[in-house]
Amino acid sequence: MNTGQYISGIGHIGLIGWLLLGDAFAPAPEPFDVTEVAVVSPEEYERIVGMQQPPETDSEAPTPPQPSEPEAPAPQPVTTPDEPPARPERDPKPETPPQDDSPDVTEILPPEPTEVQDEPPEIAPPPVEDVVVAPKKSLRPKPRPAPRVAPEPVAQPEPEAKPDEVVREEVRKDVAGETQKDESDATAPEEAAKEVVTEAEDDPSSAPVSSLRPKTRPSRPTAKPEDTATDRRSAIEKAIAEAAGPDAAPADTPEAPAGPPLTAGEKDALRVSVQRCWNTGSLSSDALRTTVIVGVKLFENGKPDVGSIRLVSSSGGSSDSARQAFEAARRAIIRCGASGYNLPKDKYAQWRDIEMTFNPEKMRIK
Amino acid sequence: MKHVLTLLSALLVLGFTVPASAAPLRIEITEGVIEPLPYAVPDFVAENSAASKVAKDLARVVAEDLSGTGLFREIPAGAHISKITSFSSPVQFADWKAINAQALVTGAVSLQSGGRLVVKFRVYDVFAGQELGNGLQFAGTQDGWRRMAHKVADAVYSRITGEGGYFDSRVVFVSETGPKDKRKKRLAIMDYDGANVQYLTNSANIVLAPRFSPTGDRILYTSYETGFPRIYVLDVASVGRRVLEQQTGTMSFAPRFSPDGRTVVYSLSQGGNTDIYRMDIGSGRSKRLTSAPSIETAPSFSPDGSRIVFESDRSGTQQLYIMDANGGEPKRISFGQGRYGTPVWSPRGDLVAFTKQTKGRFHIGVMRTDGSEERLLTASFLDEGPSWSPNGRVIMFTRETQGASGSSSLYTVDITGRNLKRVKTKGGASDPAWSPLQN
Repeated sequence: MNTGQYISGIGHIGLIGWLLLGDAFAPAPEPFDVTEVAVVSPEEYERIVGMQQPPETDSEAPTPPQPSEPEAPAPQPVTTPDEPPARPERDPKPETPPQDDSPDVTEILPPEPTEVQDEPPEIAPPPVEDVVVAPKKSLRPKPRPAPRVAPEPVAQPEPEAKPDEVVREEVRKDVAGETQKDESDATAPEEAAKEVVTEAEDDPSSAPVSSLRPKTRPSRPTAKPEDTATDRRSAIEKAIAEAAGPDAAPADTPEAPAGPPLTAGEKDALRVSVQRCWNTGSLSSDALRTTVIVGVKLFENGKPDVGSIRLVSSSGGSSDSARQAFEAARRAIIRCGASGYNLPKDKYAQWRDIEMTFNPEKMRIK
Repeated sequence: MKHVLTLLSALLVLGFTVPASAAPLRIEITEGVIEPLPYAVPDFVAENSAASKVAKDLARVVAEDLSGTGLFREIPAGAHISKITSFSSPVQFADWKAINAQALVTGAVSLQSGGRLVVKFRVYDVFAGQELGNGLQFAGTQDGWRRMAHKVADAVYSRITGEGGYFDSRVVFVSETGPKDKRKKRLAIMDYDGANVQYLTNSANIVLAPRFSPTGDRILYTSYETGFPRIYVLDVASVGRRVLEQQTGTMSFAPRFSPDGRTVVYSLSQGGNTDIYRMDIGSGRSKRLTSAPSIETAPSFSPDGSRIVFESDRSGTQQLYIMDANGGEPKRISFGQGRYGTPVWSPRGDLVAFTKQTKGRFHIGVMRTDGSEERLLTASFLDEGPSWSPNGRVIMFTRETQGASGSSSLYTVDITGRNLKRVKTKGGASDPAWSPLQN
């Protein structure tokens, strides 16, 4: 029953498709120029194609020319202790490396030796840069400027009194006098003195009886003339010291110590080194109450110059006890310094001359 | 003005050109070590064949004296590198340094005709490489070689320590024999080291507390010869004696010479009360110094003779007091726990040695004359009766062991409390009294 509809539908769809896809609605073609094309012959075609292909080349690369053989045989490498080992000459002719499955090893050849001159190269001075120099003193903030005008009004000071050019005497009312003058005060003397008055001219009663002065340092004992035997011994010791080389006698000329001072740790180490040998066991009770200051010069290797050990001063005992205390201190310095005290050599100027105070306060019998 | 500117300019230039004087490095040593000083005493050189034996013996006695103090330690001869073959030869200090000998004693002995013995010696500070003092020489009889050795040791001791020695001294003591309940006692005298013992009395009577005179030629002691304690004075050279105090119905004991040797202080017990008296030896007159109802005894003069230290129980317990040498109000100086007795003033004058009993133990101790810095040096079942060495460095005392078979011995101790050692005696010994140094 629907067959007609199907046929009608298919017919319409076919008509519409033809209208859309067909040339039924195509516009009329535009007019155009026509050029005549001639027929190309096969030879000509080959010639045209041949102009676009590369030229014909040889399949094998030309072999480079062989280098000429050296006239003289290659010198055998001679190894000398002063020269670097001779490097084998490189074959200028490249060879095709053989097929090798081993990993690639790249031989790093030493650089070509270059001639080195003994003279150091002149190094150009570095360009001067702007260096910030630390100030010696910290920059303190500038004080705020004080106001130039007083915040509060101040009364004008009284004019400075001028000395009266005329000296007048005091005038008082005189009842009995025949003539009367106006009362007036006498001219006041000038407060300033006519001459400079020093402290020495002050009233001595107001001056202190004695001024408190700081305690003076104990004076060093004056050197006594040594006898001939001592001179001879000193000369021998000096000669031995000179022969010892590093034990060269320390300079006697006083110079200001240069370089940084010893640290507290370095001083402590020296103190501990000496006190290990300071034996007070054989000292008398009087000597144990005597503090001695012993001076000593050290050689650069840290060993004490025995001849330089001297008693600088003593306190708290008699001369005999001071001598015993000094001898015990001297033994300590010599014994523990026999191998040289462990002191920084770069600070030799600081410890060349030492004064050691031996205070037996803690070593006393209590 | 122009001149002033010129001068200032010159000073300014000088200030820059003249180097500053070097300030030495200063350190302070406050702690050291206390140990015996190592020394060496090689055999003295015998300058003739007759002196070869005494030369060796003499060096040994010197070494024993020095080492016996505890302040020195001898390096044995086997360790010596150098040999001293000539007294006048220079010393090889390096060899002695190598064995750490800090002091070296060399000597020579010659026995001359007539039995005269000559000893000379030198003392060296090895590390300083110089001699301590000058050489010294002693001469005497051959029999006195030990005493000469003691003199050498005294000189060495003095040069190293700075204080006098005590080796050339003698000790008087009570020699004891027999069991405790039947002990026999007699006075004896010996060298400080126990050698050369001589008996001064027989053992018929009990004797106590001998004391040397300041010159060492007389001895005071207490004897029960009459049945009661009496004080006698004995001449050492002749061994002659006489009674010093003889009052009927009294007991006298604990005598001691004054420093000048002219007077004696002692205790006199009368009517149950014991007080201290002072007697002039020449005239025999006595003066009573204390008058308390308590027991005052054991007086001892100060070295200057101006004061007397003694013991008294006037406070209820036995304590130490000091009074003027002519009497007067005493001042108590001991305040510790326990009982204090037998005080002896040090020859130096700075200390008082005493016996202390506390907590069932006996001690020998020392304190300052004001009672401060009390130090107990020993402790045992029974320590008592201290006596000072001539230099005030050592104290000798009696130590008695416990039990029925206990015996008494003499001991010495340094005032530091170190070097406690027994004195070699034949048999028991007690109540030591040290003599001054002999001349």
